[in-house]
Amino acid sequence: MTDQTNTFGNRRVMAPAFGLLIVLLYVFLLAPLVTIVGASFTGGLLMRFPPEGLSLQWYREFFARQDLVDGLLMSLRIGTVTAVVTTAVAIMAGLAGQVISGRWSGWFQIGMTLPLLVPELLTAIGLLFFLYKIELGKSVIGLQIGHILMSFPYAYVSIVAALRQVPVSLEEASASLGASGWQTFRLVILPLVMPGVAMGGIFAFINSFDLYTVSLLLKPLGGNTLPLALFDFLTYEFKPTAAAAATISILLSILGVALVQRLVGLQRAF
Amino acid sequence: MAAVEVRDLRKRYGSFLALDGVSLTAQTGQLVTLLGPSGCGKSTTLRCLAGFLDPDGGSISIDGSDILGVPANRRGFGVVFQNYALFPHMTVAGNIGYGLKLQKRPKTEMAERIADAMRLVRLQGLEDRYPRQISGGQQQRVALARALVLRPRLLLLDEPLANLDARLRDEVRWLIRDVQQESGITAFYVTHDQSEAMAMSDMVAVMKEGRVAQFATPREIYQKPVERYVADFTGEANFLSCTRVAPVAGGYDIEVAGAHLRVAGVPGIRDRAELLLRPEALSIAPDTGQALFQGRVEKLAFLGASQHCEVRLPDGGALKLAVQANRPVGVGDQAGIRIDSEHAWLMPEVRQ
Ligand SMILES: Nc1ncnc2c1ncn2[C@@H]1O[C@H](COP(=O)(O)OP(=O)(O)OP(=O)(O)O)[C@@H](O)[C@H]1O
Ligand SMILES: [Mg+2]
Repeated sequence: MTDQTNTFGNRRVMAPAFGLLIVLLYVFLLAPLVTIVGASFTGGLLMRFPPEGLSLQWYREFFARQDLVDGLLMSLRIGTVTAVVTTAVAIMAGLAGQVISGRWSGWFQIGMTLPLLVPELLTAIGLLFFLYKIELGKSVIGLQIGHILMSFPYAYVSIVAALRQVPVSLEEASASLGASGWQTFRLVILPLVMPGVAMGGIFAFINSFDLYTVSLLLKPLGGNTLPLALFDFLTYEFKPTAAAAATISILLSILGVALVQRLVGLQRAF
Repeated sequence: MAAVEVRDLRKRYGSFLALDGVSLTAQTGQLVTLLGPSGCGKSTTLRCLAGFLDPDGGSISIDGSDILGVPANRRGFGVVFQNYALFPHMTVAGNIGYGLKLQKRPKTEMAERIADAMRLVRLQGLEDRYPRQISGGQQQRVALARALVLRPRLLLLDEPLANLDARLRDEVRWLIRDVQQESGITAFYVTHDQSEAMAMSDMVAVMKEGRVAQFATPREIYQKPVERYVADFTGEANFLSCTRVAPVAGGYDIEVAGAHLRVAGVPGIRDRAELLLRPEALSIAPDTGQALFQGRVEKLAFLGASQHCEVRLPDGGALKLAVQANRPVGVGDQAGIRIDSEHAWLMPEVRQ
């Protein structure tokens, strides 16, 4: 018998080391979240961890602040529209991408994910100039366009992955049974990629909910998204209200992730 | 029900010529097999028939009318795929009823026809299962039922048995043949398994590099192949080069491995020829007087019903033959070989 080894060397030595590494990684990732969530429930007046006593006062305060609630609503609205529009466009782009073959298909993929590859600030500045040119500068529609653009690649990547899972023979089988292109799309392709579409939508939503730089440059006068509103708030008051707002955001994200998990599970079922 | 004529079909992928003038016909109710090694263009031909591919040249007509301009979804052909291509999000009944639903048939008619189709392929009781909940053999039968329920003019099957294990393959193969004959549907069947092709087909097209090497009945393909490639692909075969060939009425006088004999063969052979001897045309002679060839037994394998035997001839050629199971032969023995010249066939020799 030889000692079990693998690429990383001796297992008996490596396993505990790996374990430690992973624990550290999780601590590193979760510490800020735990701190902020903990701080949001504090009974004291300062943003502090561990919290001093427990209370929901900062949540009450958050919902009492019109600027923060407006920001939250704005973010939710923009995020929802972003999710819907990006998924619809990404489905069409994904289908188009399948038809494009050979040399061009690679360029098409790159083109569709470009907003991920260019620094956000540059895209934002470019958009600002462009939107002013078409007289949409500092408008909700302009902001919305920016969010759609920045979130599109997330929806696209997820939907293309789902489309790739649908074998061509299913489309051919459907056609041979008399279905038109649209019928094949509606009855075969769409149901099969639906989990991927929903996933793409959720990613796009979360991304939009998170965007800061683009929102900062494109926001309409007096129309803050939640991250902007929070930042403004923190500039003047360093109160646990911000922690409550952050916790609400985290909660929304976890909800999204849970949904994605469920959908991934669904996709595996086929 | 339809008679199909494929004429001079051409298809290229980039610079690669996948189909180089394929011509075939199928009479109403016939099952025509496309047989050939991987990459010879069987699927490409079938996909042109189905309308999934546009050929670059040639024509396909059904009962005299050209169908190349007709899109796949208006051709009314049933297609069965190697990987079944069942819709994973629909039940067995949903899959089979898909085409009927598209035609907006009344509920009662749909239910009836789905039930009929399921009975035809012996799948009763599985209506509400999803494809992933049934076996491969059952999935292939669902695929068959789904194609048949629309009463297609033409049934196209691309290696429908390739993903099944040997026992199931037999079962589904006969099912396909029975159903096809019962319903009198014209069918094209793609396979690279020669025994499948022989057993099922009315006509076989042996394909070679984008062309049809021979198009004939299974019997003719096996007994009277036009070239070595066809003979090789359709079963065990021995080839002996002839040293002299002279055409005579109804055949040829030849000299082969020192022996003279008269055989039938491909018409029009001039000089170089080789003799095809199927293993069953050969036997070990009880006494050397009846033997045409003499040789030494080089290999022997007991197969149960018979023995597989290889005999080396003095001029270097080798013959494979089947010997009765209890015949006392041993490796190293001298053996006289008798041939049944009825089953010998002369073909032009192609220099490789
Ligand atoms: N989309 C394609 N692009 C380029 N070449 C192709 C394409 N489809 C098929 N070919 C080539 O055309 C030739 C014929 O392919 P085809 O699929 O008809 O073969 P086949 O006889 O069905 O083989 P198999 O038994 O392996 O299925 C092959 O050499 C294949 O590599
Ligand atoms: Mg094939």
